[in-house]
Amino acid sequence: MDGFFKWSSKWWPGLIPLTVLWAFAAWTSTAPLEADLADRSAAALHGAVLDKTTIAVAGRDVSLGAEAFSEQARSAAVDAVEAVSGVRLVNDATRLVPEAKPFVWSAERDVVRVTLAGSAPLPASKAKLTEAARGALGGVEVSDQMKLSRGAPAHFDEAAVLLLGQIVKRKDGKFTISDSSVSLSGMARELGDREAIAAALRNLPEGFKIAANDLKAPPYVFQVNKDPVASTLTLSGNVPNDSVHAAITAAAARKFVSEKVVDNLKTSIGAPGGFAAAVVPALGALSRLSTGTLVVSDREAKLSGDALYDGAALQIRAGLGRDFPQYWQFMADISVKPAVAPVDATVCQQLFSELLGKAGIRFETGKADIDPDSAGLLDRLVETALRCPASNIEVAGHTDTDGDDATNQALSEKRAQAVVDYLVKAGLPPGRFTATGFGSTQPLVPNDSDEGKAHNRRIEFKVM
Amino acid sequence: MAYLVMFHWGWLLGALLLGFAMGWIAVVHRGPGVSRAQAGWLGLLVAGLLAATLSHIVPGRPGYWLELGLITLGPYVAGCAVGSVLRAWVVRRSVATRSC
Repeated sequence: MDGFFKWSSKWWPGLIPLTVLWAFAAWTSTAPLEADLADRSAAALHGAVLDKTTIAVAGRDVSLGAEAFSEQARSAAVDAVEAVSGVRLVNDATRLVPEAKPFVWSAERDVVRVTLAGSAPLPASKAKLTEAARGALGGVEVSDQMKLSRGAPAHFDEAAVLLLGQIVKRKDGKFTISDSSVSLSGMARELGDREAIAAALRNLPEGFKIAANDLKAPPYVFQVNKDPVASTLTLSGNVPNDSVHAAITAAAARKFVSEKVVDNLKTSIGAPGGFAAAVVPALGALSRLSTGTLVVSDREAKLSGDALYDGAALQIRAGLGRDFPQYWQFMADISVKPAVAPVDATVCQQLFSELLGKAGIRFETGKADIDPDSAGLLDRLVETALRCPASNIEVAGHTDTDGDDATNQALSEKRAQAVVDYLVKAGLPPGRFTATGFGSTQPLVPNDSDEGKAHNRRIEFKVM
Repeated sequence: MAYLVMFHWGWLLGALLLGFAMGWIAVVHRGPGVSRAQAGWLGLLVAGLLAATLSHIVPGRPGYWLELGLITLGPYVAGCAVGSVLRAWVVRRSVATRSC
């Protein structure tokens, strides 16, 4: 044993090359060892749901930084790195993801992009929502400004994906989820989209409720343009249903006797209340204009154009608002068409005959009340009468053979007088007009059919 | 420990061979040796370093280098011991052969 101690006392010189060997080993192995441990630590965390994970290795010590979504996940991550073979100790710099109270998430759409902001519960949710937004709006930029937070309500992902599925129906505005309350603002893309979104949101997951729905529908626009040059009446925009569509085109055909009706209307839901009740009288006012446009936007009707004479302009400005349903607004921007050059009696007669040849003045059945549909025609008759101020005019009333002669005679006289009254009210001198009734004594065609009778019920203008 | 051995087996083998060579030489070396007191102090130093590394009080890279030094020292000492014992046996055999 003594010999062994004696030999061992002489082992020390080897420590010098051993130190060199150690220094060289330390010099060459430190970086590869750290890289190896970093790789294996990262591999150990693969699959762990963490955010902002950082792994720094010094020697065999691993500094682990990460944000976890639960205390359990946080400690599991630390344990996983500690269990990596070769790791001496773990410097735990992990923490929990901050909790959001209230948990707010939003998807805002503007012209060029969709911005997802607020909180998302997990990185997977964040990716899912971004993907859902991209899927819903192909080609539109999706800006992901979401941060990760704890405290999301149950079924958050389902609710958010449902909302993103509706974003295509939005023109602009914002969907917001605050805890379990959903609120909507902005403008729907098309008519009916607001209602479609409201219907879709009935499928929100259990527990979610609509706190505020301030989503606006785009304006419900209906437009009519009267072009005297092309002699067309163009209807465009929206109507609520087929029956209103038919009523409007029928009214247009009755009121605009000289113009060809071009129907470009489409059926869309979302019409304001009283749409038909407002549009039909507004069409009547437009029929009295020489040239003009009617634009109905939601509950606002704007009529612009040229009236045929001063009195008509005044009547249109003052009268139409009264015919409108409640809550509707009427704006008239009416000027008066410049006076047309006077003509002699012969031309005047020709003009009257042309006008009355296209359509007759209409009255309520059995009465002498002028049908409002004939206002446009009457204004043209007034305009023509103004062009021959020196001529006197006989307004002659005729009926069909229905009823007894005395009644027909009286009715024809009253109807002729009603027309004269209209002309006088328009500003023409009463002395120029004579109202005459002929009853059924001067039929144009035999009264043996409804068509023939309709033809014989007429008012004629004779220039004296 | 297993990880360190696996990762540095080449260096440890080098230390073992170095120790073997030193142990081989030490048996017939005539130079001065380490006194018992010095050996005691050296032992104490190694024990202190071992305690420091086991308690992980030296952090990061210095801690790793300390571990590496100690883990290299082990094969060196083992190599020395084996080398000395073998050399002593060889020497004894040759002396016995000559005296016969």
